[in-house]
Amino acid sequence: MASTKTANKKSALTRERGRSGILFGAPALIFVTLFLGVPILQALYYSMTKWNGLSATWIGPSTFVKEFKNPIFWRVMQNNALLLLAVPVAILIPLGIAYLLNERVAGWKFFRSIYFLPTAISWVVIGMVAIRVFAQEGVLNQLLRAIGLGFIKTDLLSSEHGALLAVAITFIYSMVGTNTMIFLTGMANLDISLNEAARIDGAGNVRIFSSITLPQLKRFIQFSFVITVISAFTALFSLIFVMTGGGPGFGTTTLEFFVYQSAFAKGDFGAGAMLGFILFVIMAGLGAAQLALTRSKE
Amino acid sequence: MSTFRKVFTFISMGILAVIMFYPFTFMIEQSLKSKEQFLGAPGHSFASWQKLFTVMPIGTQLLNSVIVCFGAIAIILIFSAFAGFGLAKLTFRGTPYFFLGIVGAMLIPLHSIIIPAYVNVSKLNLLDGYWGAIVMYAALGTPFATFLMTSYFRGIPDEIIEASVVDGLNYRGVFRRIALPLAFPAIATVVVLQFIQIWCDLLVGLLFLQDPMKRTITVGLGALSAGRTTDIPVLLAGSLVSAIPAIIIYLIFQRQLVAGLTAGIGK
Repeated sequence: MASTKTANKKSALTRERGRSGILFGAPALIFVTLFLGVPILQALYYSMTKWNGLSATWIGPSTFVKEFKNPIFWRVMQNNALLLLAVPVAILIPLGIAYLLNERVAGWKFFRSIYFLPTAISWVVIGMVAIRVFAQEGVLNQLLRAIGLGFIKTDLLSSEHGALLAVAITFIYSMVGTNTMIFLTGMANLDISLNEAARIDGAGNVRIFSSITLPQLKRFIQFSFVITVISAFTALFSLIFVMTGGGPGFGTTTLEFFVYQSAFAKGDFGAGAMLGFILFVIMAGLGAAQLALTRSKE
Repeated sequence: MSTFRKVFTFISMGILAVIMFYPFTFMIEQSLKSKEQFLGAPGHSFASWQKLFTVMPIGTQLLNSVIVCFGAIAIILIFSAFAGFGLAKLTFRGTPYFFLGIVGAMLIPLHSIIIPAYVNVSKLNLLDGYWGAIVMYAALGTPFATFLMTSYFRGIPDEIIEASVVDGLNYRGVFRRIALPLAFPAIATVVVLQFIQIWCDLLVGLLFLQDPMKRTITVGLGALSAGRTTDIPVLLAGSLVSAIPAIIIYLIFQRQLVAGLTAGIGK
């Protein structure tokens, strides 16, 4: 009799706790659903319509087929693919920098602060400086002249592939701070006793780094890979907007920039919504692949 | 470590520091030139700094940035703190789905929702004031903040909460008097991450702050630079001004920033 009473009391408490849990979580869930969940469904719906922002006419899934036959769409996807080539560089350079910092020679804390500093400024600002670096009379050419390589006169921003390269270099630069932070955190948690053991066994620095340090950093490298890929797809808008405006031609138009261009430069909101939805599908696909990959390894 | 290696490392780090600091060197140097000096005439002057205040409503834009940042961060904190506590400590059968729903929203790229969201917000007549941008920034920031808060609250032992309930506190009381004060580090992390993100963002501000006098400083700069009509030294002076607040926040809260960044890796 007494025990059922406590059980009842306990289940009443559990119920009460659950009810409070719903009440605590509901505002966030409703808010996020309203402003992110509903729009993503709208994006799917409107991508199958002709839409100028005010009135939409239903067309159907054939809009996707039409887009997939559009050579400009594939040009844009190609730009995205080319930018992915920057990802390994954007990981390796910070890995090297973190390694240097982790040697902890005099002044390393000061240097660390300097390296992280660009993380705090807008990519709008970085892009603005980058145009002056890559311009015909810019710092890059001055530098080449100064070291006696004046005959290599670069004019990256005026050609399609050159401009994409300039955006890619700026992107790599912009990721240095974040990725270095990630690797430095990883290196702070390394098990140093392993290094000493390996050294006694006769392993050199390179061997220690590749066989002991890198495996211990695996999770951090994975994480920075994910962050860098996500950024390559979704964080370049500011750089492109300031540096090239998507040009020359469609030379630096990526999918995210194409969304903006279609809707706000051409007034084709239906196409903008569709391109946005395609971007979502790509990101979700990458996310699922990443999850499957880490799951299968464990 | 050999002396040679130490010196080599130090010099490499020095060169790197010059490169990483370059945007600042460039902005400081070039903003101290007039338009003519920028195009090649010798010397330095404060002409561009004087001009800055007539070309850009810089005070207003700084204030706009502050208003938008604080508005959005306040909303994010309220929603994410409540939800994080609920998801971590007040679990029920639906909790995992609840968590998945909110955290899954982290996967939605801004560009995928921005067109419909823009039309929705314009239909609500929120594009002319600050609210459109505030609400969008808040919605985009809430999922990650909730994730962070949830993992933080999970670290608080259940016993503390049960003991307080036995002592007669209701869950709202437990949240306000016990959980919230303990969550200060997580709150600081959310504030720093969101502040830098919102302060530096271009796209949302560009679309959701239609009134030019309500633009944030980053959006003001972006719009000016795309127009290519203003002289560059003035633009660089403005860039420097825009960078300062975020840098100060970053220098003060470096540790929280790193903690927030690596929170996704887990233990």
